[in-house]
Amino acid sequence: MTNENNALELHHVTRSFGDFTLQDLSLTLPTGCILGLIGENGAGKSTAIRLIMNNLHADSGEISVLGLDNQSPAFSSLKEDIGVVLDEAYFPEVLDIKQVEKVMASTYTRWDSALFTDYINRFELPWKRPFKDFSRGMKMKLAITVALSHQPKLLILDEATSGLDPIVRDEILDIFAEFTRNEHHSILISSHILSDLEKICDYVAFLHKGRLLFCEEKDQLLDSYGVMACTSDQLQELPEDAVVGVERSHYGMRVLVKRSKVSSAFPVEKATMEDIILFQVKGEKNA
Amino acid sequence: MKGLLLKDLYVLVKQMRVFLFGVLIFAVIPGSNMTIFAVVYAAMMPYTALAYDERSHWDQLAGMMPYSIKDIVLSKYVLGWLFTAGAAALSIIASILESHFIPNAGSPLSGALAFCVGVITMAITLPPMFRFGVEKGRMIFILLVVVIACGSAGLLSETVQSPSSLAILPLLELALPVAAVVLSVASVWLSIRLYAKQHR
Repeated sequence: MTNENNALELHHVTRSFGDFTLQDLSLTLPTGCILGLIGENGAGKSTAIRLIMNNLHADSGEISVLGLDNQSPAFSSLKEDIGVVLDEAYFPEVLDIKQVEKVMASTYTRWDSALFTDYINRFELPWKRPFKDFSRGMKMKLAITVALSHQPKLLILDEATSGLDPIVRDEILDIFAEFTRNEHHSILISSHILSDLEKICDYVAFLHKGRLLFCEEKDQLLDSYGVMACTSDQLQELPEDAVVGVERSHYGMRVLVKRSKVSSAFPVEKATMEDIILFQVKGEKNA
Repeated sequence: MKGLLLKDLYVLVKQMRVFLFGVLIFAVIPGSNMTIFAVVYAAMMPYTALAYDERSHWDQLAGMMPYSIKDIVLSKYVLGWLFTAGAAALSIIASILESHFIPNAGSPLSGALAFCVGVITMAITLPPMFRFGVEKGRMIFILLVVVIACGSAGLLSETVQSPSSLAILPLLELALPVAAVVLSVASVWLSIRLYAKQHR
């Protein structure tokens, strides 16, 4: 059942490739929010994005984007409302910015030339240099500019900030935050860079080997987990269902715990997003 | 589709200037053989555009834009039709002008028939390119060129040995346009399905 208050809904989506299966993926991105999709290389993030954009057919499950089933014939037109930035910019290498703009102005009916020019000037991108001579940072800035310049309601970003230096990343994250100041705008962003996602996301989903391990509100997620340093004896004292993952070293061990299941007598520190993700994977290995 | 065509035109004009100049030269050189060269060269433009798309992974980006698979596939056919029509038109105009100065400069009709040959060539070779990519698809194009060349040589030798076989020419004038239309419709239909299978 599609809820119009959600920018994105995936219900039990499965797609198999033989050696890899994205299994039973269910996600919801409420309108006006930012959902971060985390996962290692090959976890299924790009596959999920291709499925959402109907570039790949799901074996089973349902996907609705901005209230419309993505299998609907009208979905091609709905892509006017979706700005996508892939892990590479993929513009023809001989085109310059002016030519890219002309191509995009002929592609999107709501193309905003003034906004495009503003972003190009803000990013200090060269108008006349061919795309092949751009640095990776410049290429991604152009891709983000194009995605923002046709007035989308939903931005889908697949590793859009990977490989960029921290200053450029920070600048781009500010632009994404700016975009969601409009309550009708939403963002799905996949990234390896957990600190970026921790900074801007309202919700976080973690994909591991094609399976969704969790999809939760970020603040609630950070509040519900804690990290404690302890000895083997102290670990035995913890309730079994409180322990999510254990990291052993020569100096003792660090344990990710569910705060609600641990007595306040234990010295539990606040967990970072990185702790939660890494312990989930390591915990699984130690099990 | 306008954006897709514009993108291909920018790329081809930038990358294929010498090739396009060759098409222009072949189109204006008197003689029917040159017309065929010009038009078949022009008909190769969609393959070149597809090769540049593959190189820049444009199809991945285009799949995220408000284009249907039909738009993406059809744009390559339209591009080819525009280039072949341009080369044929140039050749027809040149042959009309040249006929005032050079005897046997070539008939305007040969330009129109060459256009049909170009369209048929695209209709046969584009579906495998959409299915297997340009690298493998080109092999089928080369095979087709060999078949056409051998067929033309056979037809020519038959005509020389038996002038009565010239009687098939009026039939060819009718058959080629019909074949061009029928094969193009079937080819577009097939390419859309093959592209969808390849990309989804």
